[in-house]
Amino acid sequence: MDRRNFLRALGGATATAILTPEIAQAAAQMGSADWRVAFADLEADLPRGPMRLVDGRAPRGLAGSLYRNGPGKFHRPGGSVNHWFDGDGLMRAFRISDGAATLEARFIDTPKRRADTAANAVITPGFGTPAGPGARIRNADDVNAANIAVMPVGGELWALWESGSPIAMDPSDLSTKGIKTLRPDLQHVPFLAHPRREPGGDTWSLGVNGKQALVWRLGPDGALKSADMVELPMASYIHDFTATQRHLILILQPWIQDRMVMPYNDSFTWRPEQGTKVLVLDKADLTRRRVYELPAVFAFHYGSAWEESDGTLRFDGCFSADARFATENGKTLMTGAWKPQPAAILGMVALRPDGRASLEPMGVAAEFPRIDGRVAGSARRYTIHASGAARSAPMFHGLATHDWKTGKSDAFDFGAHQLVEEAVFVARPGGSDELDGWLLAPSVNTKAKATELHVFDARRIAAGPLCTWRADRALPVSLHGAFVKA
Amino acid sequence: MKTLSILAAAVVLGFASAAAQAGAAQAAEPSSLTVTFKGLQQKTGAILFTVVNSEAAYDGKAPVVAQDILKVSGDTATKTFDGLAPGRYAIKAFHDVDGDGKMGTNPFGVPTEPFAFSNNAVIAMGPPKWEAAAFEVKAGANTQTIDID
Repeated sequence: MDRRNFLRALGGATATAILTPEIAQAAAQMGSADWRVAFADLEADLPRGPMRLVDGRAPRGLAGSLYRNGPGKFHRPGGSVNHWFDGDGLMRAFRISDGAATLEARFIDTPKRRADTAANAVITPGFGTPAGPGARIRNADDVNAANIAVMPVGGELWALWESGSPIAMDPSDLSTKGIKTLRPDLQHVPFLAHPRREPGGDTWSLGVNGKQALVWRLGPDGALKSADMVELPMASYIHDFTATQRHLILILQPWIQDRMVMPYNDSFTWRPEQGTKVLVLDKADLTRRRVYELPAVFAFHYGSAWEESDGTLRFDGCFSADARFATENGKTLMTGAWKPQPAAILGMVALRPDGRASLEPMGVAAEFPRIDGRVAGSARRYTIHASGAARSAPMFHGLATHDWKTGKSDAFDFGAHQLVEEAVFVARPGGSDELDGWLLAPSVNTKAKATELHVFDARRIAAGPLCTWRADRALPVSLHGAFVKA
Repeated sequence: MKTLSILAAAVVLGFASAAAQAGAAQAAEPSSLTVTFKGLQQKTGAILFTVVNSEAAYDGKAPVVAQDILKVSGDTATKTFDGLAPGRYAIKAFHDVDGDGKMGTNPFGVPTEPFAFSNNAVIAMGPPKWEAAAFEVKAGANTQTIDID
């Protein structure tokens, strides 16, 4: 598919209503104005407290903790963040046992949070926020917001950003242990928020710096196995990558770093004429590489990849026509406004042995793709994703699974008053089939002004939640989570 | 991150090109300068530092006035220079924690050993300018205290 056709497909899939920007803007300001409760500051840590069961019954066998990370404080008297991505990292724990749930949240104790608290202003620069007076930036970890994702490993939780080190936390009380240095000479080397974990095996991540990336390989216990540098075809913005059992697949989109300024996102320029390059590396020998070309597209997130018997590599992702969310709405929503924009849509990439590459859009608005982690790196049938995006407000109103075999979507929409966060798959004890288990998805119920946790049968999404718990207040919407079974 | 690499290179380069001219003062009215490094978290290695008396020297384009290596065994380290000419000075320092004589950097050139400047001038994506790090040395005894870790 050429670029024009791809863009047409993107447009056709997302223009669900014929709205002029003015009408949509007005609708955003009126009807959906209360989405702002989902982006409001949490002022202090939230101690563990019970959630109230408001619907259904918890499934038997579901027990453990859902940890979720995401920005939680944005405003300070002397100056605030300019971008959603720059709020202080806030770790949430939804703990489920004996059919009951509790919720707690604790800010990650980063040098950034300490500096901003002491200054009573956001002085630490970030993704979309400039430095304020007195900001001390000796290395990436001085500006590490630790606010994107969480990785349970070796009895710890690692709060992940993408341009700094993991920050270790104690899962039992969410206290911060400190910056994780995997080897002394690798202090402050970035570690992406989306590591790829092989089922029962190693975890891979990247540290990206312009046209160079350090490839991290960690054992199941989190110990460093190797750290090797690779050259990249372009100095692209890399938030996520993907992997098969044998390959690492780095998608180099044409949002390219051509200078180093603060805020960080001002260092990047959208250069669609350069297209997207896909770098495939052999895990066993990182010098063995192949580069494929795709039309210019932007994505934050990909599903896991697999290799077919003829050598074709496939992976899915949530693709947009450009980096507009990163450059525009990520900022405007911090001012309580939203500029209507098309949602990202689910697409499937194929990298063929003869060197051809293609991206087929599925016509389904989707973000936060997840899978049943037991099939990571292997052929799979399903992608889990947030769905029901509105052009006129941020976030999503529902969740879905996409069946790649039938092309069908199994979806549930809560309605416009619910801002639904990324769903995480939890396997049913004793089961082994793909999607035999539950999806855990929190939401901010803007009518009730409360955070909720919904449990779905992963194979019967349209039937609605099996149960819903409600907290007595709303926490800001989170980005990514991980489940640790009891 | 590129700028951080440049910062690392600049700091390292500053030490590499430092000419040993300790005590080379045109002392009309002799003064002394006591430099104290405090807040040391790791009690190993040494502090390597240079003293300069001009913007050119601060930027590595002229010889330094003094340089020294202070062994670290506690949470502070102190050195006094006598016979300095009154004037404006600045200090660049790093804590060579592993004692290899070099400022450690990660593969992207970002310093992995603590470093600091006089006036505790703030490092923000690059070394502070001479104006931020420069301090006055007057006739008599002078002190400069630098937090380094």
